[in-house]
Amino acid sequence: MIEAKAVTYKLKKEESRKDILFSLALGDDADRFHAGASDGVLRDLAPLVKKEEFEAKDLEGGHTSYVTGLARHGNTMVSGAYDKKLIWWDLKKGESTLVRDKAHNRWLRGVEISPNGKVVASVADDMVCRLWDFKSGKLLHELHGHDSRTPNNFDSMLYCCTFSPDGKRIATGDRIGKIVLWDVASGKQIKSMMAPGFYTWDPRARIHSIGGLRSLCFSPDGKTLASGGMGKVGNIDHLQGKARFELFDVEKGESLGVIESDKYKGLVETVAFGPDGKWLAGTGGDHKGWLIFLDVSEKKIITEDGVNSHIHETAFSKDLSKIYGVGHNRAYIWEKEVEKKVEDKPVGDKAS
Amino acid sequence: MNAHPNCSTAEHHLSRRSFLNGVSTAGAALLGSVGSVHLFGEKNTLNEALKKSGKRVILLWQAGGASQLETWNPLPGTANSGPFAPISTDVPGTHISELMPEMAKRMKDVCAIRSMKTGDGGHGGGANLMMRGRKDEPNLNYPDIGAILARELARKDSKVPDYVALYTATEGRNGGNLTSSFLGARYTPMKLEKEMVPPNMSRQENISEQDHHARASLQALLNERFIDGRSTTTHSLPAAYARVHGLMSSQDLFDISHESARERERYGPTLFGEQVLMARRLVEAGVPFVRVARAWWDSHGQNFETHQELVPEFDRVLSALIDDLKERGLFDDVLIVAMGEFGRTPRINGSLGRDHFANAWSTMLAGCGINGGYVHGKTTEDCQDVAEDPSNAGDFVATILKAVGIDPHHEYHHGARPIPLVNPGHKAIDACLKA
Repeated sequence: MIEAKAVTYKLKKEESRKDILFSLALGDDADRFHAGASDGVLRDLAPLVKKEEFEAKDLEGGHTSYVTGLARHGNTMVSGAYDKKLIWWDLKKGESTLVRDKAHNRWLRGVEISPNGKVVASVADDMVCRLWDFKSGKLLHELHGHDSRTPNNFDSMLYCCTFSPDGKRIATGDRIGKIVLWDVASGKQIKSMMAPGFYTWDPRARIHSIGGLRSLCFSPDGKTLASGGMGKVGNIDHLQGKARFELFDVEKGESLGVIESDKYKGLVETVAFGPDGKWLAGTGGDHKGWLIFLDVSEKKIITEDGVNSHIHETAFSKDLSKIYGVGHNRAYIWEKEVEKKVEDKPVGDKAS
Repeated sequence: MNAHPNCSTAEHHLSRRSFLNGVSTAGAALLGSVGSVHLFGEKNTLNEALKKSGKRVILLWQAGGASQLETWNPLPGTANSGPFAPISTDVPGTHISELMPEMAKRMKDVCAIRSMKTGDGGHGGGANLMMRGRKDEPNLNYPDIGAILARELARKDSKVPDYVALYTATEGRNGGNLTSSFLGARYTPMKLEKEMVPPNMSRQENISEQDHHARASLQALLNERFIDGRSTTTHSLPAAYARVHGLMSSQDLFDISHESARERERYGPTLFGEQVLMARRLVEAGVPFVRVARAWWDSHGQNFETHQELVPEFDRVLSALIDDLKERGLFDDVLIVAMGEFGRTPRINGSLGRDHFANAWSTMLAGCGINGGYVHGKTTEDCQDVAEDPSNAGDFVATILKAVGIDPHHEYHHGARPIPLVNPGHKAIDACLKA
């Protein structure tokens, strides 16, 4: 088991790119590493993992805008984009098998697959979370619980969702910091929680807003929900708020505390618990990017390291030996430095 | 020390004090203008016919710099495009951002200029440049476009302000210092920065309407005695005071609660919507120039989400204004201008933002004198530069002036120095104007 204090990863590979990569999905062996790009293409980044053995086989022609949601189960990958489409891909054949052209009415922000591989969840700025049957693509439930307008009369945004480890619940997070917990089987709302610290409305200097709750992840025991975003901002022209995490007690629906970085600013785009729930990793950025590890019980930052560009999404390899990341004009691979025996796979290794 | 060289009587002090003390903040600019108006005289204005024509201008100032790519000049299929798609409009072949579906139905009424090349990417410098059409000289600050329009379009006997500027957000408020400069303080804007109703306009509660009028009569009498035998400058003081009085009686203009629920609904519930609705009320009542600043478009971080908030609001409010003016028969007499100090970089930065960009950006004109449905200029495919028909700030200001019937090459005189309304070499973009 990794000790919280011993979580240390070192950046091993960094690839400069022309595109912006918003989302990623790993295969079971992590050799096939796909990223959703700004030009609508699903880029095969396997050559970045093992240069000699792989030829990149990008998946083109499916999306026409930013691919912001990507999830994989077995050889099936599901992608979602700002073009409002949800597309199922057969990775063996290298082609799409199912397209939901109007999966949502506005930008699609995130896609997740339940741990048992039966349900696909998508969230979008139409403020609806839709649950789909993984195999058939049939719509199972529409989850309506987030207001379409902010309190200041502007369109709101629904950024993220995450399944609980047992797959029975799903949590969704929006621009004003509202978290809603749902029962997956029935599609019923269980409860909601507020994390207003992620949303900055500037009524005086600029008269608009910035921020939003950008990432969610359940702890391995499903009792704690971690959320990520950016703290309050003085100058909302820039991503100048502190990288911010807030933990919630799922049963009580209460905040367990806030952790903010004094070193790094910007949006926490991904949060992921370690397998024992003792540590939490967060990645994101402002103009540049960073990787932050937190001690959950102490509610303190353990380590934090910067990289050259904003990181839009990261995922751990199954054995926790690597972290894969994609972002603004760059892709990254970190490797674990500390030699420790690893017993469990990570839980909720990506959620944004 | 006696402020008046020829008089030390108590009456002088009483009159002067009562005069000054009686003037509200809202009217202070008008008072200050008296000297300039007199010294400069009305002889330099263009003609009374123009003043009687009822031409007016509403400027929607997109403070901080709106992105041309997310408004009037979407460029699909490039790395700089951003996530918003272009949509077709009621003008065949013309596309604008999907964030403006209402304006897409009204492009026949609008002239978009996609080739602004203004060269100043600083907030203050860019704002000054766009508001004046030229840079100030070391010893000469030029009046801004609002002051010129106020001077040329305001009726001499007007009881309403000549130039009203709303700028509620604090960010960028000092950029583009609004000034009438040598035109005199009469044409300095009445600035509404904290609330929509000018401060101190209302009659004090402890003064009855009857007393208010009685005081005004007494003041008029004293002023009349006070000015007797004094300079002509002093002679215009009662006129200025009468304008203040006129303003006080026109405070309803600033109260949009008089508008129907339908009107308020179509402009929307936001502050910007309410302010533009008030701008329509003001121009309808004869105010020649109203500037409504919507801040703050300076989207260095999260450009697309910022524009997702601001552009739909802009789309709703601008389309409502066009419809409203048309329904009132004012569209041909009121020029609507939309611009900021610059546009935004085509390149998307690491925070998904766009930065300042003055090399190839967009503005909009609609209404009075404008060739609706026309798109002027073209940018390169990556929007990094102007490909056809570059337009600078001087040309743009000249176009505004000509649209309302003012010869941009007319000259003012500041002392003995002739000063054209726009610098030599700049001219109106005639293609943007009705033939």
